[in-house]
Order: sequence, then structure tokens, then C-alpha cells
Amino acid sequence: MTVNQIAFFGLFFLSVILYYCVPKKCQWMTLLGISLLFYHLMGVDNFLYILVTTGTLTYGTRKMYQIDRKLEESLKNAPVKPTREEKKEKKAQAKAIKKRWLLGIIVINLGILLVLKYGNFFINNINGVLKLVGMDGMNKLGLIAPLGLSYYTLQAIGYALDVFKGKCEPESNPFKVLLFVTYFPQMTQGPIGRYPELAAQFFRGNQFSYQNLSYGCQRIVWGLFKKAVIADHLRPLVNGIFNNHTSVSGFTLFMGCVYMSLQIYADFSGYSDIVCGVSEIYGIRLMENFRRPFFSKSLGEYWRRWHISLSSWFRDYIFYPASISRTAVKFGKLGQKFFSPRIRKLFPAVFALCLVWFCTGFWHDASWRYIFWGVGNGVVIISAIILEPQFTAAKEKLHINENAKWWQAFSVLRTFIIICLLKVFPAGNSTMHSLSIAKRILLDFRPELTYEAFFRNTQWYNLIYIAIGLVLFLCVSIIQTREPARQWLGSKPVVVRWVVFLALIAMILCFGSFDSTVRGGFEYAQF
Amino acid sequence: MREELMEILGELRPEVDFASEVRLIDDGILDSFDLVSLIGEINDSFDVEVSFDDIEPENFNSVDAMLKLIQKLQEED
Repeated sequence: MTVNQIAFFGLFFLSVILYYCVPKKCQWMTLLGISLLFYHLMGVDNFLYILVTTGTLTYGTRKMYQIDRKLEESLKNAPVKPTREEKKEKKAQAKAIKKRWLLGIIVINLGILLVLKYGNFFINNINGVLKLVGMDGMNKLGLIAPLGLSYYTLQAIGYALDVFKGKCEPESNPFKVLLFVTYFPQMTQGPIGRYPELAAQFFRGNQFSYQNLSYGCQRIVWGLFKKAVIADHLRPLVNGIFNNHTSVSGFTLFMGCVYMSLQIYADFSGYSDIVCGVSEIYGIRLMENFRRPFFSKSLGEYWRRWHISLSSWFRDYIFYPASISRTAVKFGKLGQKFFSPRIRKLFPAVFALCLVWFCTGFWHDASWRYIFWGVGNGVVIISAIILEPQFTAAKEKLHINENAKWWQAFSVLRTFIIICLLKVFPAGNSTMHSLSIAKRILLDFRPELTYEAFFRNTQWYNLIYIAIGLVLFLCVSIIQTREPARQWLGSKPVVVRWVVFLALIAMILCFGSFDSTVRGGFEYAQF
Repeated sequence: MREELMEILGELRPEVDFASEVRLIDDGILDSFDLVSLIGEINDSFDVEVSFDDIEPENFNSVDAMLKLIQKLQEED
């Protein structure tokens, strides 16, 4: 069962009634029960990994907290006031023990992710090397990664790091931690939540509110519209192009990359809208995952507006610690002899960015094509930072006014084209397939102005559905640049609001394509 | 100390009025790259070590918050 199926909404409706009928202090238990039920209905029977994550998280974070309290008490109750040096030493000792607990949590949870998701990738690569030296390869693992593993593992590690930093107190009730890990709207594809924000909403007891219900329903319908009318119609067009990549020109393959960018955006943001709407009806707001990313004027800005919960996770838990680490500082010293002071200062951050972009690519999929995609993004972003003075000088020489509308429009278009070109890597089914697509785009572009070149094997009426969907999506995005779209709609007369709402439902039913062949129902469930 | 910090911030982002801003991180006025550069400068200039635990918006949202953090780190050293 996936969140765009009628059965899901039937069960969801019943769960909302139950949620608001039970006493407030029991609401979180209801949510936990519903989450486990949904997780089971989504096809997951093996709860062992989730229980390991919950167990290590509950026990490990509690231990870290106890170390801090013990230190505080020992400093407070010391018979003789400790000197500054003694205090410093005790703090360092406590931090070292805390680090061991933190490392334990990370190693166990990341270990599960590495074995289940990346085990066969490592074995394939080792076997490739063994074959070269004439040795027999290893057998592949027969393990299947449970749905949402990549998401809830990051969420769990983020929580452990927050407790380590002293940003939040750990939860001692393992069932409450289990709810944090398995909360069904976000478990399979994010948004990757943060414990302080979610815990405050889970356990406070939520009052039923008509506004939450109305806003939640609007958001669900809008998400379904994007998914059924745009993404699911674009999917066959994209697959038709990339699955026949040897028989089409580089131009058509490039158009495939454009359609894929739009498809993934409609699919993933549609999913996020549905689950944010579902959660809002329970009175729990999830982190926003998108802020009109295709309006970005640079790739760096795009990544601050696309899959925000993932990019902010990498920023907070990998980029910051890596860029101030001793390794990064040492790396910075490497460039002292050869580079200008400006570039030297950038070295630690560039070191951290290399790590972040490798991890971003690898997190998405256990394959070289996704590693290339992540590295490709990193190369563009790092180059833009390093070459910034040269770009600024060139713009001054050419008398380009950065605030001019034409320049801003050009920057948006340039960024969109870069995003589409980088989609070459995820476009293929294998690394060789992706490289073959890239080769044809570069060496056999052949722009053609024919219907087949633009819209291979697609009926004209499907294009009309997609066009209607995209125009509406663009209009809503433009409204959102001025004010939240729901606030804008809320200011209209009630008749207009209902007409818009019902028209969207009618369009989903009339124009929607309901593709149920994708695992988890959505593209990002594959990661 | 304030003057030195203002000088560092002025070099980092000359167009920002650091004296009046109180939501430098929350409003995205300083991005992650600025923050990492700033931490490097603070470490070198004030002989402190900003750690992962200290990288929180509330420590970098304003000049006063940064000064408070630097003082805390100097006291701990």
C-alpha cells in the first residue's frame, strides 16, 4: 500500500477518528500503532532492524545524557572547588566517553545501512578486482533493505548527534523513540525530521482543528494532483526515451533529462505535500522539503531549496563537523604554498564539500552513476565558489547588471539546464547506460524540430494533461513567491475555494494516470 | 574584541550591517560557507577552538551572540 492509493485514505480517515477520540495523553500511542500498521501494510514484515535502531538510540542517548549529568554533579558537589584545569580535564574525559557511545550508535546503525543497501555494491566491486587477478568472486548477499532505511537511519543518527551536542534531552521511553523512528508519513521517504521539533508535537496532545483539516486536505489534493497529472504522465515519456537511447538523437535524450527533472520534482514534491497534509491533520507539522527549487539562480541555491531536509542534514551533521575538523585544517595547510590567501581559506570548506557531495550521491543509490552524479554537483558548486572573483570581474567587464530582470531570468535558465544535464547520471539503469546517454548527448546532439524528437511515443492528449498540470504548478509557484498559496486561496470567497478544490479533484480523476508499478509508489522510495 | 570581530565580519560580507542584524543565520544572511570561514577566522584571531557542539544558530545570529561564545570559549581554555 502506498500513500496515493484509495485504501490508504480509507485507513487514514479511520485513524484520524481514532486519534481524536482517544485521550490526548494516548494520542502518541495511537500514532505508533497506526505507524506500525501502515509500515506492515506497505509490505514490510521484518521489524528487527527498526527495533535495533530504536534500542541503540534509546540506550545510547540515555547513557550520553547520564555522563553529562554525572559530570555536572561531580563539579557541583566537589568538596574543594575544582581549578579551571581540573574542570577542563574532567570535561574532556566525559566528552571522550560520550564520543564512544555516539560512535557505537553510528557504527551499528550505519553498519545496518551499509550492509543492507551497499553490501552487494561492495561485493560487485571486489569481485571485479578479484576477476582481474584471476581469483573467484564472493557470493552476493541475499538481504533486502527495508523501505525507508536510508531515511530513518539519517533521522536516528541526527537525533543521537543532537543529544551529544546537548541540543535536546533524550527520551527514555523506547516506545516514544520508536514513534520518532517509524512515524508513517515521513518514514519511507522523509522529510528527515529533527527530534526536538517532532517530539514537542507528538507528545503535547493535539486538539482537533478545522483549519488543520482544511489545510491538510488541500495539501493532500495538491500533492495527488502533481503526482497523478504531472509525474505519472511524464514517467512513460521519460522511460520511452531512455530505454531506447541508441535509437534517438542526443537532442531527444537531453529533452528526456528535462522531462525527468520535472517528473522527479512533481513526484517527490507531490509525495511531500501528501504526507505533510496527512500529518497536519494530526496537528503535526513536518519540515518543508521544497522551496520552489527551479527558481534558483545557482546550483548552490538550488540545493538549499531542493530536498531541504536531506541537504540541511548533510550541512549540519557532515559539512560543519568535517569543515572544522583537524583533517580539514591539515588539508587547508596543503594549499598554503601554492594558492592565494582567499583560496587557502576555502580549503577546509572545499574538503568538507567533497565529502558531502560524495555522500549525497552515494546515499541516493549504491551505484557508480549516483556517485558520479553527486561528484558532478560538487564539481559545479565548488568551481563556482573558487572562480567567483573571475565571474564577478567578467560581469563587470561586460557591464552586466546582476539585478536586471533579463540576467536573473538567464541565471534561472542556466541553473535549470545544469540540473537537467546532471540528470544524465540517474537517467540510465546502469552506469554504462548513463555514460552511453551522456556520450550521445555530447557527440550526437542533432537538434530536430519534429514531434517525435520532442515527445517520443506520446499521445497528444497526454501532453495536454501534462501541460495543464505544469502551467498550474507554475502559477502556484509564482503565487508562493509572494505569500503562501493556501493563505492566498483562503482570502478568496468560500465558493471560489470549493470550486478550486473540487476542480483539482475532478482533474485528478479525469486526467490522472495512476501508475502503481513503482516500488513504494514514488521515485524517491527507491533510495 | 568587538572591533576585531566587526573587522572580520566586515571583510567576510561588507554589504551586511552586522551592528543591527540579530538573525544572521536564521534569515540566511550568512550561509554555511560564510559560517565555516568565520569560524576559521575566530579560531585564529581569538585563539579559541569552536567545536561542533558550538555550531548552533543562536551562537552566530548576532555580533553579541558571537562575542558571548568567544568569551565562553576563552574562559574554558
